[in-house]
Amino acid sequence: MTERRSAWLLAPPGLIDYDVANEAMHTLARRRLDDEIPDSVIVLQHPPVFTAGRRAAEDELLWDEATVTARGGAVRRIDRGGSFTFHGPGQLVVYPILGLGGRPDAAAHLRRLEEVAIRTCADLGATVRRRADVQTGVWVDDEKICAIGVRLLRTRVTLHGMALNCDTDLTWFDGIVACGLPDHGVTSLTRVIGRDVRVDEVAPIAIRHVADVFGLAPTEAPDEIVRPFLAAAVA
Amino acid sequence: MTSIQMPQLGETIVEGTILKWLKSEGDQVKADEPLFEISTDKVDTEVPSPVAGTVTKLLVAEGATVPVGTAVMEIDDGSGAGGNGASAPASAPAAAPAQAATPVAEAPAEAAPPAAQTQTQQPAAPAPTAPAPSTMPDRGPRSGILSPIVRKLARERGIDLATIAGTGEGGRITKADVLAAAAPPAAGTTVAPLPSVGPAAAAVMVAAPSMPAGQGEEAQPISHIRKAIAAHMLASTQQTARAWTMVEVNVDRLVHLREDSKEKFQANFGVKLTYLPMVTRATIDALQQFPLVNSRLDGETIVTPRFVNMGIAVSYDAGLIVPVVKGADGMNTVGIARAIADLAARARSHQLQPDEVQGATFTITNPGPYGSLLSVPIINQPNAGILSLDGIQKRPVVVEDDAIAVRSMVYISMSWDHRLIDGELATRFLARVKHNLETWDFAEDLGL
Repeated sequence: MTERRSAWLLAPPGLIDYDVANEAMHTLARRRLDDEIPDSVIVLQHPPVFTAGRRAAEDELLWDEATVTARGGAVRRIDRGGSFTFHGPGQLVVYPILGLGGRPDAAAHLRRLEEVAIRTCADLGATVRRRADVQTGVWVDDEKICAIGVRLLRTRVTLHGMALNCDTDLTWFDGIVACGLPDHGVTSLTRVIGRDVRVDEVAPIAIRHVADVFGLAPTEAPDEIVRPFLAAAVA
Repeated sequence: MTSIQMPQLGETIVEGTILKWLKSEGDQVKADEPLFEISTDKVDTEVPSPVAGTVTKLLVAEGATVPVGTAVMEIDDGSGAGGNGASAPASAPAAAPAQAATPVAEAPAEAAPPAAQTQTQQPAAPAPTAPAPSTMPDRGPRSGILSPIVRKLARERGIDLATIAGTGEGGRITKADVLAAAAPPAAGTTVAPLPSVGPAAAAVMVAAPSMPAGQGEEAQPISHIRKAIAAHMLASTQQTARAWTMVEVNVDRLVHLREDSKEKFQANFGVKLTYLPMVTRATIDALQQFPLVNSRLDGETIVTPRFVNMGIAVSYDAGLIVPVVKGADGMNTVGIARAIADLAARARSHQLQPDEVQGATFTITNPGPYGSLLSVPIINQPNAGILSLDGIQKRPVVVEDDAIAVRSMVYISMSWDHRLIDGELATRFLARVKHNLETWDFAEDLGL
C-alpha cells in the first residue's frame, strides 16, 4: 500500500457562485501545476446553473436564456469535457485538483471518480453502476445519478470533477439534453432510496471515499485558500 | 524535427478530437507550452510541447478525431533528425507508448518492439503532408451542431455520424443525410473509409455489410474498450501464425490438497486457494526450462527475457483486461496467489495503474470456473503463447495395471505462435507443465 498524499480539503458551506468557484478552482490548478501547493479537493454546492462543455451542441439547451433566468438559473460555457449538465442546490459537487504525475491516466481518473460515487451510494443503500456501454458516469438503470466531466492542465493536473444528485430538483434537467444523451434520464439519491437524502448527509461519506480512492490524506486548507470560496457563498 | 502525436491519456482511451490549435504554422513554442486542446470521452486537456522550436506543420484539421498515436503536428526543434518514428516517444511526455492503447494489448513499454510499433501505427497515421479529407471538421459526431433527432436516428440505424458528410448549412448533418447513409449503397458506389478509428478497428467495422438494428433489436454504440479489444484481437489473429496444442492433466492430488486445506490457506494468507496460482507456478518453471516460449519476436530478432512477467486475463464489467504479475519467477505459489487476487480485485474496481497491464512475457487465461472444457485463446501479442486452464472434471481414466479409475482431470492447452515455436517445443513445454502439476508437492510451497 502506498503512502497517502497530503491534500487540502475545501468544503465551503452554502451555495457557492459558479463563476467565482470556477475561477478559484483554476487558480488552485495553475498553482498545483507549478508545484506551489499540494493536491486539493473542493466539495460544494452551486446555485442553479447549466454548464456546457466545449463539445456541447447549442440545441442541447432546450430552454431559452430568458426561461433559465426567470427560474433563477444561469448558463455558462466552460472548459471541461462532456456536454451540458446542471448544478444546483441538493447536488454534491466534488472538484479534485490533483497532480497526475509523469504518466497521466485520464481514464483511470474518470474510473476513480465513478468509484467514489459508487461507494458513496452503496453506503447509503443505493446500488448504482457504471455503464461502459453508454457513457462515463454512474447510473441507476438508464438514469444517470452522477455526472462526470474533467479538464486537465497540460495533461497533468485535474480540474472539474463529479456531480452527485442528492435531493436535486430534477425538473431543471428538463432544460437540457443532459450529457448529450436524449434517451437517458437523470435521477437522485432521494428518488432511488425513497427518503430525503441531503448533501449534508452525503458529503462526509463522499469525502471519505475520495480520500480512499485517490489515496489522499485530507487536511484543512489554509484560510487564504478557502476565503475566495467563502466570499462567493450566496446562500 | 519532432512530430507531436495525439497523446495516450489512459489505456482505455483510443482516440481524441482536436478542439483547437493554440499555435499556428510558423509560431515559436517553448518547451511545455500548450500546443493544442483535445477532447476525449469526458476529458478535455491542453497538450504541452515536449520541445522548444518552431511549428512547421499542422497535420490534421480542428474538429478531427484521430487515433491515439497519430502524428498531428510537426515542430522544428533544430534536431534535424527527420521521421516521426524516432521522435515519437519523446514527443508525448504525457503519453504511454501509443501501442499500449489497451489493457488486452501487447504493448508493454519495455516489450514494445519498435518494428511492431511501426507496423501497427503506420495505417493509423494519416499521410503527414496530406490530411485525409475524412478528417476534416464538422464531420465528428460532436464537433458540429447536431440535433438530438439526428443523433437518435443515427443511433437507431447504427450509423457512425463521423462517417457522414453533412449537406446542411455549414456542413451540418441533417436527418436526410442519416437516412441516406442508412440506405444500402447502390451498386458500384464506393463506401467512404471510416475516420476516427484505429486501422484494425476500422477493419472490424467495414468487414461486414451494415445491418442496422431492426424491430425487436437494440442498438448500442461500441464502447472504447470494446473497440480496443476488437482491434487487438483482430491484429493478433492477422499477425501471428497461431497453432494450438493440448495436454490432459491428472490434478487429483491438487483437488484433494485444495479441499483439505482451503480454509487453512485462507486463514493464513487472506486469499482464496484456487488452482490458478498452482498452474501459474508450474508454467513459470516450464518457461524457465524452455525460454523460447517466454520470448517475443522483435522484427527479425528473438528477444528472450530472463524474467517472467505473467499476464493473467481477467474479465470485468467493461470487457477483458490482462494485469501482469511482474517478476512472477521470483514468487512462490502463495506470493502468486496474493498477486493475482490483488490484481484481479483492482481490475474489477478499475484501480489498475497503466504499468500494471503492461510488460507480460507470457499470458494465462482461466475460463475453467465458468465451465469451459476446452478453449482456443488468441495470443496476447507480443507473447509467443497463451496457456488456457479449462474446467476440472471427474473422468474415468486408465491407471496403473490397466485399471479404470475416477480421477479429477483437466485439459490444459496453449495457443502458440508458429513463427517462434514449433510443435515439438510446444508439446514438450506443455508436457513439463503437466509433469509439474502431477508430481510436485504443492503443500510445502503453499505453506501448508
